Amino acid sequence: MEPLLTRYVREPNAFTLDFYLRHQGYEGFRKALAMTPDEVIEAVKASGLRGRGGAGFPTGMKWQFVDKKSPNPKYIACNADESEPGTFKDHLLMERNPHLLIEGCAIGCYAIGAKIAYIYVRGEFLHVQEVLERAIAEAYARGFLGRNVLGSGFDCDVYVHRGAGAYEAGEETALLESLEGKRAQPRNKPPFPAVVGLYNCPTAVNNVETLSNVPLILLNGAEWFAGLGPEKNGGPKLYCVSGHVRRPGVYEASMKITLRELIEGHAGGVREGRTLKAVIPGGSSVPCLLPDQLDTQASFDGIQKAGSLLGSAGIVVLDDTTCMVWLAENLLHFYRHESCGKCTPCREGTDWLHKILRRIEGGGGQLRDLDLLSSISGNVAGKTLCAFGDAAVTPVLTTLKHFRHEYEAHIREGRCTLPAPWRATRALEGVH
Amino acid sequence: METVTLTIDGRQVTIEKGKTVLQAAIESGISVPYYCYHPGIGIDGSCRVCIVKIEKMPKLQTSCSTVCTEGMAVSTRTPDVVEARAGVFEFLLINHPLDCPVCDKGGECPLQDFSYAFGPDLSRMDFPRRVFDGDGVRGDVDFGPTLMLNRQRCILCTRCVRFMRDVDADAQINIIDRGYGSEIATFQEEGVHSLISGNLMDVCPVGAITTRDYRFKSRPWDNPLAADTICTQCAKGCNVTAWIKAKPEWAKGSQLIRFTPRLNPDVNDYWMCDIGRFEYHWIEGERRVRKPLERQASGVQQPVSWDDVTAKLCDRLAAAGTSNPDGVRFLLSAHASHEELFLFKRLTEELVGESGPAAISVSWRYREKQQPAGTKFKVPAVDAPNVNGARMLGLVPGAPGDEVRGADVTALRQAVEAGRVTALYVFDPGPDGSLGDTTWIVEARTRGPLPLLIVQGVLLTDLARAADFVLPGASYVEKEASYTNGHGRLQGTTRAIPTPGDAMEDWQILVNLGTALGVAFDYKSAAHVRSDVTGRFSTITELQGLSTLAFNKPMEARHWLQASNPSERWKWDFMFQDLPPVKGNVDPTSLPLPPGAIPLKEV
Ligand SMILES: Cc1cc2nc3c(=O)[nH]c(=O)nc-3n(C[C@H](O)[C@H](O)[C@H](O)COP(=O)(O)O)c2cc1C
Ligand code: SF4
Ligand code: SF4
Ligand code: SF4
Ligand code: FES
Repeated sequence: MEPLLTRYVREPNAFTLDFYLRHQGYEGFRKALAMTPDEVIEAVKASGLRGRGGAGFPTGMKWQFVDKKSPNPKYIACNADESEPGTFKDHLLMERNPHLLIEGCAIGCYAIGAKIAYIYVRGEFLHVQEVLERAIAEAYARGFLGRNVLGSGFDCDVYVHRGAGAYEAGEETALLESLEGKRAQPRNKPPFPAVVGLYNCPTAVNNVETLSNVPLILLNGAEWFAGLGPEKNGGPKLYCVSGHVRRPGVYEASMKITLRELIEGHAGGVREGRTLKAVIPGGSSVPCLLPDQLDTQASFDGIQKAGSLLGSAGIVVLDDTTCMVWLAENLLHFYRHESCGKCTPCREGTDWLHKILRRIEGGGGQLRDLDLLSSISGNVAGKTLCAFGDAAVTPVLTTLKHFRHEYEAHIREGRCTLPAPWRATRALEGVH
Repeated sequence: METVTLTIDGRQVTIEKGKTVLQAAIESGISVPYYCYHPGIGIDGSCRVCIVKIEKMPKLQTSCSTVCTEGMAVSTRTPDVVEARAGVFEFLLINHPLDCPVCDKGGECPLQDFSYAFGPDLSRMDFPRRVFDGDGVRGDVDFGPTLMLNRQRCILCTRCVRFMRDVDADAQINIIDRGYGSEIATFQEEGVHSLISGNLMDVCPVGAITTRDYRFKSRPWDNPLAADTICTQCAKGCNVTAWIKAKPEWAKGSQLIRFTPRLNPDVNDYWMCDIGRFEYHWIEGERRVRKPLERQASGVQQPVSWDDVTAKLCDRLAAAGTSNPDGVRFLLSAHASHEELFLFKRLTEELVGESGPAAISVSWRYREKQQPAGTKFKVPAVDAPNVNGARMLGLVPGAPGDEVRGADVTALRQAVEAGRVTALYVFDPGPDGSLGDTTWIVEARTRGPLPLLIVQGVLLTDLARAADFVLPGASYVEKEASYTNGHGRLQGTTRAIPTPGDAMEDWQILVNLGTALGVAFDYKSAAHVRSDVTGRFSTITELQGLSTLAFNKPMEARHWLQASNPSERWKWDFMFQDLPPVKGNVDPTSLPLPPGAIPLKEV
């Protein structure tokens, strides 16, 4: 499949409005303005577009749930917090193709009856904020944003808000709290943001890649979009392939593609003399797949059938030098650090898990620690306020399930038995 | 009322539509633990101990945040719930210091009690516990002028954060850092500065927030009695509980050990202010008058017997009254109850005639309190409980509904300063300052224009020191007396402790004095006085409640929760099986358990 979202990302001026307009920029928006908002939602529904932020929820449906009858203003909140380890696609889109996102925001606003879209950018993405702001200023200057857009009578404003740097701010309700100027901690659901969202008004929270797909649907039609991928997995998809591959990077493909084609084809496979050990297909929060599952279709449904999740499509490739105990310890260090601390099981459980993993990594583990690890993980999973808790214990549960022997070897030998001992020592020094 | 019917552990429960599963469980006496939820603060969904299983829902749900629907089937005691809940309790304790023996909350701590009932027997935690003492940070700190904060004990339920934000409308407390490092803090560690800060001790479900006033002074099992009463320190009339510490008579220290609020949605909700909570030490303080005093020719005030003081006082008053009937005046504090005001009124009527009550002035202190504009708990400016009562008895102009401003005693003052008053009888059973400014009386007595000053009250104030006679009366926790608060609500106090020394209840003092002055007072009790009030003021409907007003007695106390917070009461009823359940008269342990359910542990 020809790249659609990332087609021009190597062009030096792809981020400018002039370049964008020369390549059918804002054409989709014009078409949308000629339709009724409900027709736009119908088109997005028919396209089969599913949210690219992680859960894969149908975008058209999400827009339909926005409470149109509410007398309050409606909002689009674009989730540009992209913090899932192994994920770096939204960053590329915003940096190189910002107008595509802005156009998506404007169409989204029109569809759900909003006048304002907020783009919530990850705290560390300072330069992305600058690119977006420049692009938004261009769009205002040429009448694509502001009052009476393109003479249609429709008003639309887009604002960029940069967070303070927290993974949890990517959870949709925590994002809304943070936008409101509060701590990035999630709210209870229900009510869902579509009913009670930003400033208690109906809000659609959509990922950057999700919104960037919307202009394509309007431009080329829902049927065309749906036909790009397998059933119920329409449109182009960005994959972030990282880890032990020759050519890590963002690859755009139809979701008909398999993990093998992505890893061995696009990314060039694992390095000389190495063998593949495991793949984490959807960012650090999902279970690993094993080498014999490489022919799995890299779609939402395909990966789910194989026992994992497509998540944010951050494909982390692990070769035979990877110590899976170290991996779990490393990831739990991340989750322990990023837990927002609002709910008991996640706040206390992530730290406890990390302490045990560190002990095992450091050679002080005991066999009974393994049962403790799975028991604690079980006490966190499904008991927390937001999905972070389930995400956080997944690395522990999945490595224990597939690589228990590595844990046992660590405990028996009192050290890592794999040929990369620097990791174990560094892990111990670097903990804080 | 629209209702829904659901089943909890196989039992049918009908509840008002819109209420949550946790509320349904609480109201029907089914034990579900909770920390972050508080009926006066709302839902947070963060502590996760209230999880239950709801049929047709894939995951366990927090009962506090799930609204009841018709036909919903909830289980709180199936093995999956029991195990998951125990897991959360294990998490809550892995970093808890477990210093119960030195913790003020010990013995009345929801963390202790719920952990015993629902937590695992053993902890599997073998790492050192988290402590907040680090670079420039301390775990155990001053938390403003009234409170202490112990961060190690905090379970991060954020009740305190939300109380300050949502009830006091002044978000002084928040959490700093995140995740495992989260800690409760105020800006620059300056602590909580609020007129209702004491409520934070009540809402904190552990011993993290304690009051300086109560800290290390007593334990629940040392407070055998609690008296449900009202606070009379201002016009609000909060419903409170006075706690009484067990103490041999010869031992030092006071009996009254703390005040806590009682729920009354019409008056004070779940809260009370810091004045009512902390400023009660005068009641058993050094300055309390315990014996009648008479000024000797030498100028020194000497303790005398009631018989002596009554006889001499009668002579002096009679002499002053005979020489100048208009010269005898009364200054009463609006801390005086209906009974007391009524007796003064009767006394003047009997002695002088219908115009007698014109000799009575009523005073109170009026202080605007500094509070956040949006606070949901406004403390009135009127520092007295019974201005409205004085109005109904015709001693203060205005009707009960009218706004109250500062008291006006200028006419009396002018008369005193001009030497037109031959005897001034002051009555104030409230704390020092309740009458507002009284320096002019002291001045007049010492300089000369006022020849006779009588003070009936509780404290040896500057005013009492200037008096010729001091008659020791009773404070609001030492008598059954009635008051009409700022909103026209009639309420009564409870006799929680006896009057000290020779001090007497004020109605009794007045009846004795009246009798000695030749008035035919035949009242045998305060209740007797009240029935005469309703009889003589039969046209004032607001006063008719006096005949049915019930007065509490000090009760055997188990826990402040039991006495003060009905929505949490059930749990004590449930855990202390010797007490009858508050609602529904059901013994939850006698109910049939659903198949596979694990019975709760005996505590
Ligand atoms: C802990 C956590 C972190 C998340 N981080 C992100 C993120 O960085 N970016 C994102 O788009 N969605 C993130 N999500 C998913 C969002 O909650 C939400 O589902 C998504 O933004 C919806 O957009 P979509 O429907 O377009 O996928 C996160 C979810 C969780 C639980
Ligand atoms: S699961 Fe973790 S991140 Fe989510 S609310 Fe609870 S503590 Fe915060
Ligand atoms: S100090 Fe008390 S009320 Fe505040 S969060 Fe901690 S445990 Fe809860
Ligand atoms: S508000 Fe008034 S009645 Fe209530 S506690 Fe304070 S002083 Fe007492
Ligand atoms: S009481 Fe329900 S989560 Fe805390």
